[in-house]
Amino acid sequence: MHCVDTQEDEVQPRKILVVDDSKLIHKMFEVLLRQFSLIHAHDGIEALQCLGNHADIDLILLDINMPRMSGLEFLNQVKADQAFQEIPVVIISTEGKEEDTIRGLEAGAAAYIKKPFGNQELLEVIQRL
Amino acid sequence: MSESEAGGLLKELDTTLDRAKDLLTTLSNRQDDAGLDEESAARIRDLEVRLDARDRDREELTTRLVEAEHQLGRLMNLYVATFQLHATLDPTEVQATIAEIAVDLLGAERFALLLREEGSQDCEIALARGLENDNSGLYEGDRYSGGDPLVDAALDDGVLRMGPDEFSEVIAAVPLRVQDAIVGVLVVLKLFDHKSILRAEDRDLLDLLAAHAASALFAARVYSNTDRKLRTLESLVQLVRST
Repeated sequence: MHCVDTQEDEVQPRKILVVDDSKLIHKMFEVLLRQFSLIHAHDGIEALQCLGNHADIDLILLDINMPRMSGLEFLNQVKADQAFQEIPVVIISTEGKEEDTIRGLEAGAAAYIKKPFGNQELLEVIQRL
Repeated sequence: MSESEAGGLLKELDTTLDRAKDLLTTLSNRQDDAGLDEESAARIRDLEVRLDARDRDREELTTRLVEAEHQLGRLMNLYVATFQLHATLDPTEVQATIAEIAVDLLGAERFALLLREEGSQDCEIALARGLENDNSGLYEGDRYSGGDPLVDAALDDGVLRMGPDEFSEVIAAVPLRVQDAIVGVLVVLKLFDHKSILRAEDRDLLDLLAAHAASALFAARVYSNTDRKLRTLESLVQLVRST
């Protein structure tokens, strides 16, 4: 019989990289995702540095409109790098047009959530991934 | 108990109730087939009644869990917004927080923060987003001189106005108060296309902005001015000492 150790998931919190230039969003994730271990970056360049420093990131929550390096540029770099391309990326953006969603998903995002988002919606996506 | 734990317990309860229903159905079928004695039949009927009651309990619990989750989300947004508004004494950062609340929590695509100028009925546009696409012509040149009935009314009596109506395209005009004085108004002119309306929880956020945004901004400005004056005085004192 094949056994799955679900306990391990509960003991070891998943490590999530939050990439957003909004301090409000970082604070919100601190409160909402307190059961996870969070790493914070405020633009794409900072996020790439965080990826280099933390080899065990399980998930990336990514904004699109950011200074220095946008979310899509960052996503393209992540998906082009063999070391990181398997990490699921959830885009969380105010860009809500259908073409924005398609562009994000085609760039390799696992899910696309529009701001403002419902807490439950985000938690369900994270659980699914 | 966390939300996910409560959700998990409810799912478990669902499964248990479904199993109990299956067992009762099986028992009833056997009763029909084999003709059980009166006592067993009465017990099955009693079990069915109790199962119906538990089913109703489960439905009520599910409804209450959804309500609790919704309420928790509202409270969390309010907590985070309040925390961030008062987390700094830098006026630029307070303004950035007001903008983030408007964009990320309310879903405002176009808005303006108007602050009354001292000794004037005009307002300075302290903060704005998306105004380049506004065709009203009321928010040009970094100042608002009146003209929108909802905004003017909110500035006049300090009551939150929700629109749009036949005379105004404004979605919300949120009066900003410091103590009892109305010092400005946050004008929401357009929501993102994917956010169709402002909901009840958004009203909570608007009320919070009305009560906290201006005081946070004014406290930061006062601190900033005082700090600047203090530095100037310190420099003067150093200059006097060195000569």
